[in-house]
Amino acid sequence: MGCSGNGAGLDANGNPVSGASGTGGTIPLSADFDSIQANVFTPICSACHIGASAPQGLILDAQHSYSLLVNVPSTEEPGIPRIDPGNPDNSYLIQKIEGHAAVGGQMPLDQAPLPASTIAFIVQWVTDGAQPGASSQVAAATMAFDISAVVPEDGDSLPQPPNEIVVAFSRDLDATSVLTPSVRLERVDGAAGTSTASVVDTRLRMPAANPRAFMLQPVMPLAPGNYQLVLSGQPGMQIRALDGSRLKAPLPQEQADRVISHFSVAAP
Amino acid sequence: MRIPRTGKWRALGWLVCLLSLTSVSGIAQAEPYLAIQNGYTCSNCHVNPTGGGMRSTFGDIFAQTLLPAYAAPSGSPVWTGQLLQQVLRLGGDVRTDFARTSTPHSSTVQQFSLEQARVYTDISIIPDRLGVYVDQLVAPGTQNMEAYVRYGNPANWYLKAGHFYLPFGWRLQDQSAFVREVTGINMNTPDTGAEFGLRRGRLEWQIDASNGAANQASTGQNSGGGSGYMATTQLIYTRTSWRLGLAGSHTQSKVAGDRDMGGLFAGLRTGPVAWLGEADVVRQAGYADGAHTLLPMIGEMDWLVHKGNNLKLTYEFYDPNTHVGHDQQTRWSIVDEFTPLPFLQIRAGFRRGQGIPQNNAQNRTLAFIEAHGFF
Repeated sequence: MGCSGNGAGLDANGNPVSGASGTGGTIPLSADFDSIQANVFTPICSACHIGASAPQGLILDAQHSYSLLVNVPSTEEPGIPRIDPGNPDNSYLIQKIEGHAAVGGQMPLDQAPLPASTIAFIVQWVTDGAQPGASSQVAAATMAFDISAVVPEDGDSLPQPPNEIVVAFSRDLDATSVLTPSVRLERVDGAAGTSTASVVDTRLRMPAANPRAFMLQPVMPLAPGNYQLVLSGQPGMQIRALDGSRLKAPLPQEQADRVISHFSVAAP
Repeated sequence: MRIPRTGKWRALGWLVCLLSLTSVSGIAQAEPYLAIQNGYTCSNCHVNPTGGGMRSTFGDIFAQTLLPAYAAPSGSPVWTGQLLQQVLRLGGDVRTDFARTSTPHSSTVQQFSLEQARVYTDISIIPDRLGVYVDQLVAPGTQNMEAYVRYGNPANWYLKAGHFYLPFGWRLQDQSAFVREVTGINMNTPDTGAEFGLRRGRLEWQIDASNGAANQASTGQNSGGGSGYMATTQLIYTRTSWRLGLAGSHTQSKVAGDRDMGGLFAGLRTGPVAWLGEADVVRQAGYADGAHTLLPMIGEMDWLVHKGNNLKLTYEFYDPNTHVGHDQQTRWSIVDEFTPLPFLQIRAGFRRGQGIPQNNAQNRTLAFIEAHGFF
């Protein structure tokens, strides 16, 4: 069996020790996402759940697993999230590794079930709110999106209310990249320093012909006044504003807003 | 056929083992070595033109006459799977096992498991022309594995659409083989799309368009479900004693990154021994450090020791990233497959994996005894 690797210079997941995707294979198993990723998801689950052929579209490598697990509906039982933070009994992943899911076999499929102690750590992680680890932040840094254009442009004064606000990016978007709560249009009233902002009701649309842009369409025509477009960074991605500065890559509980454009609509 | 006295005791011993497993058993869900040993194509024994799942009438007869060590008791009815004046075919498969898995630095796990119970149905709406096929996993849990409508005659050409297994390389019984696991095309991962198949003489060809497994994800807030596609094709040249196949696939996936795969697989019969081999190249984009090239391979020897008893030896190799050294994995297996009676098979085996020493999961050993039943 001399053809197997001796593991020199690699972590437990087979990545070079200095590699960005390494998760430090010597992390002991605990109720922490990084530890579970390094000891369970990467070495065991991602043998199958990886790449474009991942079963059920669930990719469990360090780069994707958190964003595809937490609060994402299961494809086999869409009424049940894969991970429901704080609620392991309603988490499909837990049902699958414990072997009592309504659909399909116990995971890991065709292998010995995970030891009870390992399952207990994963259950505890979910019970504790399924917090992300540092690895998901590493992954976030690898998914950088540059904003290439915003229309109306920053500082524009429009004679008529725009039908839509367009934000274009340097790479294709998908549901991973832009979420409705992550972008909003605000009306700004009052003088500088004492201004107040109120959210304008809009619809988010991603044109099929241009996967690198999204549009915000005001439900009602914008009244004359000042407006600002606010974008938030999302877990699993990193957005660079037009000036090249990064939006903070936030944890799910955090908000990291950035005004990316001001414009005004003139009175008729 | 009279069963010799020693044969009776041996058969009784196997049956005791079988009863201790509280199961019935049978042939694996797909065993390409049988096709190589006998010079058949997959569709000779299976309703599905690309093999696996429900057996054809020929496959059922083969399983009652040529495959088992001993014949069924005289007077036993011959099962052909056909009901309702050949309009409906019915089949099923049950697999259960006792497995002992040893992982370094972990407690040994041993347990009985019901691996799967499946029911197959095929309705011939227009004979040799139009049919509907369903493969339903009924335990553990319930899950549709295949459901498609088929038009045409697989002996000539056919078109099928629905939910089905994609054609790519050997449709092995062991779904955890590196070549099946790494390509992601196996009998645990059906896809949804359409397939066109063509047979001309010794050549058969399939081409598929499908969603791609990674694109079947829901439209959950963090997934990119609904985007992307998968294209797969396979070409096989079959001779009586050997065959050669080529397979290719391209998947576009915004979620997982694009994937391109190529495969070369072959089979050869030398006397009582059938040889199978497959080598695949997988190029997967979407990693933080760029695309990775993955190389899974398998070599298999199946020795028909005597009628009803096959000894299987496999060696597998997997390089998970050709740009990284010292990370290769190997796996050896020895499995005895004994088919004492029609529709009854017992498999006992040992499998040893070896990978980098710091990864315990890659260095597991597995011992198992498995019972299969089908009708």
